[in-house]
Amino acid sequence: MAADNPIDPIHQFEISKIADIQLGGIDISFTNSSLFMVFALAATMALFVIGLSKKSIIPNRMQMLSELSYNFIANMLRDQVGDQGRAYFPFIFSLFMFIFFCNFIGLIPYTFTVTSHLIVTFAFAGLIFIAVTIIGFVKNGLGYLRIFYPSGIPIFLAPLIVPIEIISYLSKPISLSVRLCANMLAGHSILKIFAGFIVMLGFLGFAPLVFLVVLYALETLIAALQAYIFTILTCIYLNDALHPDH
Amino acid sequence: MKILLKAFLLTAPINFAYAAEGQKSAGLPQMDISTFPSQLFWLVITFSLLYLFMWKFVIPKLGATIEERRDKISNDINDADNLNTEATDILKKYDEQMASASQESNEIITNSKKAMLDHLETLKKENEEKVNSLISESQAKIKAQEEKSKIEIRNATLDTVKAIVSRYIENIPSDEEINKKLN
Repeated sequence: MAADNPIDPIHQFEISKIADIQLGGIDISFTNSSLFMVFALAATMALFVIGLSKKSIIPNRMQMLSELSYNFIANMLRDQVGDQGRAYFPFIFSLFMFIFFCNFIGLIPYTFTVTSHLIVTFAFAGLIFIAVTIIGFVKNGLGYLRIFYPSGIPIFLAPLIVPIEIISYLSKPISLSVRLCANMLAGHSILKIFAGFIVMLGFLGFAPLVFLVVLYALETLIAALQAYIFTILTCIYLNDALHPDH
Repeated sequence: MKILLKAFLLTAPINFAYAAEGQKSAGLPQMDISTFPSQLFWLVITFSLLYLFMWKFVIPKLGATIEERRDKISNDINDADNLNTEATDILKKYDEQMASASQESNEIITNSKKAMLDHLETLKKENEEKVNSLISESQAKIKAQEEKSKIEIRNATLDTVKAIVSRYIENIPSDEEINKKLN
């Protein structure tokens, strides 16, 4: 069985119950996944509670960190969406911080990566997709359908372009969720595999060890980058919903 | 940034293919539908809490702090600008005062120079007059003295001649005769 193998790279993604909770016949047990969601929540809260505990004109390190993240996301939203995006700032900010901390906590050995599960990323992507579609129709009415037929395209190309645009629109939540989940899954699996090589090779293990260190740095970059990409794509989709003409 | 994005969009299928392979060999925990309700349930709870926390606590407070700082900085910049204009004004005033003061002093210098030259001129004139009068006075004195000594010399000569002549001849010539001969 896979679970019995100590260096099985997939073992780290397994979900184990911590507290068995059943609600109307549905299993909503508190699992290791839930625990690390709470950790991500706690980490974000800690960052901002400490960062904001002693707010001053000249910020200390933690305040600097919280303000940097705030400005980073606020600028991203302003650049991508403009001033109309302000209303969605709490969501975008929460989204980024949650994914960021889930990705980073997952890099610590023996932890669990919440975002490596497709259902979690798909829940976010699906929520974003539905919300963006609703926002698009509420703000533009039926004019939102223009996004399927970009301006400046000859009418005889419409039968070709419109289906392609519809398919690409419908595939957005899938690509968005799969990108994040697959990056986490693949990265953590490779880390685990190379960690296994170190153990197996014994004395010669320093070679994969060196590689593991480099790979770990790369994975750290990817953890931040994927949180960034997920957030900026959300901003881009939101911009499409608010300004379908562009 | 767009290039980076594209690169990741392109590599995503490869990563996913890797994941799919893993699924075939080990049975990915990701595909275990029985864990979905629990994951979704706790995701909704934790993310909602995070959203509320961000919406109600972090964003208003951080926004206010950042706004406050921006206000403070712009106020300080305004103050600095005001002080700067003030300083420029003072400098201007100072320059003006310096210019007028130097003009005044120049005037004073030219005036006093002129006064000095005038004074010098009058002094010179006075002295010249004095010297001239002294010279003419002494010249007159010299002339008078000359006249006087001429007469005295003549008289002395006369007496001497009379005395010498009286020694050799009986007949003493008269003064008129001697005078005639002397001339």
